[in-house]
Amino acid sequence: MSIIQTKDVKKWFGDFQALKGITMDVAEGEVLVVCGPSGSGKSTFIRCINRLEQHQEGQIIVDGIELTNDLKNIEAIRSEVGMVFQSFNLFPHLTVMQNITLAQIWVRKKNRAESEEKAMELLERVGIPEQAQKFPGQLSGGQQQRVAIARALAMEPKIMLFDEPTSALDPEMIKEVLDVMKELAKSGMTMIVVTHEMGFAKEVADRVMLFDEGMLVEENTPEEFFNNPKSDRTKLFLSQIL
Amino acid sequence: MVDLIKKNAKSLQESLFSSVGSAVLTIATTYLVINFFRGMLGFALTSDKDWLAVLNNMQLYMVQAYPEEDFIRVWLSVGLTFVLAGLSIGIWRSDDRVKSSQVFNSFFKGGLGVLFFTIIAPTNASFMGNDGSVITEEVFSMDTRLGILIPVAVFCVIFFSIRFINVKFTVNSSDMVFFYLFIPVALLWFVKLPTIQLDQNNERIIPDPVMPIADTTKIPWTVIFVSFLVSYFIGMYLKSIKSIKSIMSLSWFLLPLLIFSWIFKKPQIDMSVVLGSDLPIFGVFLLWGFLVITFVNNSIFKKYYSTYLGVTFLLTLVGVFSGLPMLAKTCLLLIALFSVVVPAVSTSSQGKRSLLIVWAVALVTLTFLLRGGASDTGIVVPGSSIFGGFSLTWLLAIFGTYVSFPLGVLLALGRNSKLPIIRIVCTGIIELTRSVPYITWLFFASVTLAVFLPAGVEFNLIVRVLMVTAFFSGAYFAENIRGGLQSIPKGQYEAADAIGMSPFQKISLIIMPQALRAVIPTLVSSAITAFKDSSLVTIIGLFDFLTIGKTVIGNQSIPVNFVGHDRENLIFVAIVYWIFTFTLSRRSMKVEKKLGLGER
Ligand SMILES: Nc1ncnc2c1ncn2[C@@H]1O[C@H](COP(=O)(O)OP(=O)(O)OP(=O)(O)O)[C@@H](O)[C@H]1O
Ligand SMILES: [Mg+2]
Repeated sequence: MSIIQTKDVKKWFGDFQALKGITMDVAEGEVLVVCGPSGSGKSTFIRCINRLEQHQEGQIIVDGIELTNDLKNIEAIRSEVGMVFQSFNLFPHLTVMQNITLAQIWVRKKNRAESEEKAMELLERVGIPEQAQKFPGQLSGGQQQRVAIARALAMEPKIMLFDEPTSALDPEMIKEVLDVMKELAKSGMTMIVVTHEMGFAKEVADRVMLFDEGMLVEENTPEEFFNNPKSDRTKLFLSQIL
Repeated sequence: MVDLIKKNAKSLQESLFSSVGSAVLTIATTYLVINFFRGMLGFALTSDKDWLAVLNNMQLYMVQAYPEEDFIRVWLSVGLTFVLAGLSIGIWRSDDRVKSSQVFNSFFKGGLGVLFFTIIAPTNASFMGNDGSVITEEVFSMDTRLGILIPVAVFCVIFFSIRFINVKFTVNSSDMVFFYLFIPVALLWFVKLPTIQLDQNNERIIPDPVMPIADTTKIPWTVIFVSFLVSYFIGMYLKSIKSIKSIMSLSWFLLPLLIFSWIFKKPQIDMSVVLGSDLPIFGVFLLWGFLVITFVNNSIFKKYYSTYLGVTFLLTLVGVFSGLPMLAKTCLLLIALFSVVVPAVSTSSQGKRSLLIVWAVALVTLTFLLRGGASDTGIVVPGSSIFGGFSLTWLLAIFGTYVSFPLGVLLALGRNSKLPIIRIVCTGIIELTRSVPYITWLFFASVTLAVFLPAGVEFNLIVRVLMVTAFFSGAYFAENIRGGLQSIPKGQYEAADAIGMSPFQKISLIIMPQALRAVIPTLVSSAITAFKDSSLVTIIGLFDFLTIGKTVIGNQSIPVNFVGHDRENLIFVAIVYWIFTFTLSRRSMKVEKKLGLGER
């Protein structure tokens, strides 16, 4: 049973067509890695899934709810879908703890004690419980990204979207974030991950997709994708990055 | 102790005399500063200055011609403000503690300041006599100098050496407020000042006899101080009540309105009008607002929401030019604007509840203002304005900021809005207000504004000035805040969206706090500018603080002749302005530091 379904999704920025009809679906508990050259529309596509970008044609159905202009649907979907950004986007005026409890208190309407308990639990899960009272500006990049993951998880989402979560990090910090993501994948979370970390894709992905010029060029299991790709475009891409 | 002095001397030497150039600069500047203060002191102390021209006119400075039998209203307003302040300090009592050494140090520094001025004060000073000749006289005798020098030096030594004895304690920083306020209030009871007395021929007795401060000053202030203190303790006691903080915020919001109506009017309320027209109108609009809030996110209603908005705006337009009572017209306008905001906020039951409260409070306030404001003035004062002096300056500054700041926030948000109509209207308001000088707006308020108001509605000149001031400084606030909004990266909006926050939550919890923090310095300088610019109202015949000092007292000949003593008064006015603006900028620096925590 698929939790995300897209049918022929098209998106224009002015005259420029960023998505040229994407059709795919993601099953519950599946980990999907999306890769492709820069400017191929990967970010645009996953941002359409929680309506940070608006698609103009086609259908996106998340957990049985179709994304339309209806604010209620958008809010319902956003509270099911967590998102982690390349540039973390933590709230700099709030402490780590407040960053994580904010949505629970205001969107989920939980009380403070309950939310703080949940936040501590998540901080332990991502390995930085001792940083709870600091401000984001006082943390390293890797720590900030782990807080961002905890913040998204605090909403208890069914789906997590990652847009190049490790691209802004120093090599030694990449591992700590990837470890958290691997653990998350093993716990059965549905994930769509845009990344250039092919090691991660080989190890945890159930499926790998390649985007090019706004189109879905290849969709395959990791073994087939890396060892025996169907399209020439994938071969070219792999030869460039590996 | 010797070590400490040596270390200080060394660091002084390093910072002031590190090279020949800086040594010259240091000496030259010191010389200039000392001479400046010497000159000022000499000027202030010569016998042709009559400082009683300031002291004797305090009442004029405070309220101008406000009738004495209604003074109780002024005292009550001040008292009520202090009671609310006491409650709030108690409720929001901070846990910050001030170290004893910090307190002693500030005493020590204060003493040093007095010492400095006592030492540099000139012995002789000269002034220009009536016939144009220069008169030199002794203004600061050795006896007086020593009389001040010795006790103050002892005071300084005590507070300097206290840090070497092991006296260490900390005081709650909120408690310190009361301590610092206690000093001047206690002094009122002990200080004796020269006071002007007239003999039977109405001639001033010279030299002026030294007398205690009048009961009409010290008793009210003592009562106010005591109530301030008592409400502080009550506040600490009330702290645990759940919704007390929102109640307090609401009280602060309503306080200016209450004071305003108190000082301004003795409302004559016609019960038949209240029951026959006000209450029904109030009820209808309350119900209307309630219905909109409840059903706004209902899917059927939603489909026709833009139609509903259009009809409401059309109704408003028709209503404004019809013969409806003023209250109904204003409410129509209000519900139209309200309906625009509702869909964004009314997404949760909590949002609905707070919306309903806001709507009810807005209606009550409006009814109250229109009913109270339209009744005849009960307080009779000669001249065009009901009061002047410091009250007026203060009113313009506080009320101006109080109305214009939220207005600025709304205008800034409106200018960034996605809806073209709102954007155009807000941009129009901002650009129109800013492109015309403040003085022009003042003339507009005094001469033309009445033409634009609906027939039958007349506002006092002060109210009209407040209206234009709110828009004028609101436009400046709006531009400052918009600058802050632009400094927020797009990622912050996206992160807030991604965790499912509503647009209203996003703006009020994520975007605005960051935007405001980024622009605190500019906001404070706007507020200071507004405070000082309030003296421009003199041009339309209002008597603000400065005008009282310069023009009114400078021309006063009855009962005492103060003609020509405007210089003393100008200095006094300047010092008062300085104290307020300096405190404000100091406070804002503290707030900035506190809020700057998150930044590295
Ligand atoms: N807001 C926007 N306005 C105009 N064009 C845009 C906008 N956002 C993205 N684009 C364009 O859409 C195309 C796809 O962008 P997208 O960010 O999805 O690429 P990407 O695959 O994520 O690339 P990268 O790996 O560099 O992040 C690019 O050509 C980009 O220039
Ligand atoms: Mg991208």
